[in-house]
Amino acid sequence: MESVLSINNLSKSYGVVKALKGISFDVPKGSVFGILGPNGSGKTTLLGIVMDVLKANGGNYRWFGQPGSPQIRRKIGSLLETPNFYSYMSAIDNLKITQAISGRGTKNDIDEVLKKVNLYDRRKSRFKTFSLGMKQRLAIAAALLGDPGVLVLDEPTNGLDPVGIAEIRNLIVELRHKGYTVIMASHLLDEVEKVCTHAAILKTGDLITTGHVDEILMDEDMVELSSADINALSAVLKKMGKEVIIDEKTNTVQIIYPKGIAKMDEINRYCFDNGIVLTQLVLRKKRLEARFFELTNN
Amino acid sequence: MINLIRTEWLKMRKYKAFWWIIGITALSYPGINYIFYMVYDNLTNQPTQASKLAKMAIGNPFTFPDVWHTVAYFSSWFVFIPSVVVIMFITNEYTFKTHRQNIIDGWSRRQFITSKLIDVLIISLLITLIYSAVSLVAGIANQERLIRDTWGKSYYLGLFALQTFAQLSIAFLIGFLIRKAFLALGVFLFYYVIFEPIIVGLLKVYGRDAGRYMPLEISDRMIPVPAFLGKLNTPEKYQQALNDIRPHVVFTIILTAIIWFICYWVNSRKDLK
Repeated sequence: MESVLSINNLSKSYGVVKALKGISFDVPKGSVFGILGPNGSGKTTLLGIVMDVLKANGGNYRWFGQPGSPQIRRKIGSLLETPNFYSYMSAIDNLKITQAISGRGTKNDIDEVLKKVNLYDRRKSRFKTFSLGMKQRLAIAAALLGDPGVLVLDEPTNGLDPVGIAEIRNLIVELRHKGYTVIMASHLLDEVEKVCTHAAILKTGDLITTGHVDEILMDEDMVELSSADINALSAVLKKMGKEVIIDEKTNTVQIIYPKGIAKMDEINRYCFDNGIVLTQLVLRKKRLEARFFELTNN
Repeated sequence: MINLIRTEWLKMRKYKAFWWIIGITALSYPGINYIFYMVYDNLTNQPTQASKLAKMAIGNPFTFPDVWHTVAYFSSWFVFIPSVVVIMFITNEYTFKTHRQNIIDGWSRRQFITSKLIDVLIISLLITLIYSAVSLVAGIANQERLIRDTWGKSYYLGLFALQTFAQLSIAFLIGFLIRKAFLALGVFLFYYVIFEPIIVGLLKVYGRDAGRYMPLEISDRMIPVPAFLGKLNTPEKYQQALNDIRPHVVFTIILTAIIWFICYWVNSRKDLK
């Protein structure tokens, strides 16, 4: 698959602290690529390097198969860390600066992106009068200006209320359907799970895993079952030689298989042959949160 | 380049402090020159023999062509006023973190420093325009005969512009390296008003005038005291001051080039935090 961004053995140190230790991965075109990791894992450093505000100590990266350059950055809408605008200027004037530097969009496009993030009515207000959520929305408007096709978003839902978070989530899904590639770093695993197609998980500068979200989550098959009598069900499953986890809250039983091994029809038949009629039989994905904690040993 | 100028002008024209500083400069330049004109007028327009002798001896420094020199000299004392806005323009970029955002949005690091160089050039140009207007108005107001040589010493226009640009570049470098607005302003004003004048004064007495190579003094010596004040010195010393203009133009250009080279070099290598 064609890569929008290829990262090759990237490393970065701040004095004795190694923020990135030879990271490599590719971001496929058209993906929503989540970069996950606890605080200090190197997510923002990684994005800072590929946007040329930080200098790598080793390795390289390529956008669209070419080394990073100002011309390439102009094609990428970005929000890194915090919304960075001139506080004495209005929303519309700040976007004129973005437009002048990036060459993306027209005056009409500025109005359109301000409408898209619900800031059009405040377009003439100075940036310093904005709330944190409004500042964040203006930064997203700047990133969207002129339909760049690739977005780099560092914690895009920072400072937003639940409605704002849902709007950004829907916006990212909409952009994915339009063919955008979105690279986003986030702490909000629930959000990432909802919108990302691919992910990379970092921990203290190391890449723990990367790939399609389903592949990352489905490291093992977790089968969830229930029946009228879960104690009887549990006893039958134990006879299969499986370790059984009983969840009394949901009145279900879970058994774990190595990835790709669980055969649902055989489990169903085995239970039925042993006098158990199943009321539920589902192959579950692990929640990203659980997987994340496993991988990062937190 | 046009894109850089357009973008910087958008940042500038929306910044109220910029217009305040330009306004204060537009008042202070005519103000300081008017004060010295009044001193001169009081000295030479008394109905006494001494006053007439004084007028004969020193002439009128506010007529063409001397007015270019006189106004340049007095106005150059006030370069610390536009230096405030130069420091604010670069430290604002750090405060708002737009020094990062401009790069993220698609400028190269070199373009970012060039945009700041354009800021300093625009401010120097505006300050030079104010100086030119004050010189022309003062010269015309004091014109006694039409045959006077209006543009004879107008090369002080170039010297004033270069001196302003050079000294504002020093202010820029301090803002660029220190990054905090008030700290940078404090350091620059302390250096400008106290530190360097003391060092230059001490070196005049004890150090074979080595203070002439101090960063601000290098360009200060491009505009020596006007002739009527120069006559307070010995003729040889005054002639030496005039002879020093040419080498100091060269020193100033070299120092200013070094300053901007440092800015480009540092900005190309460091992490933008």
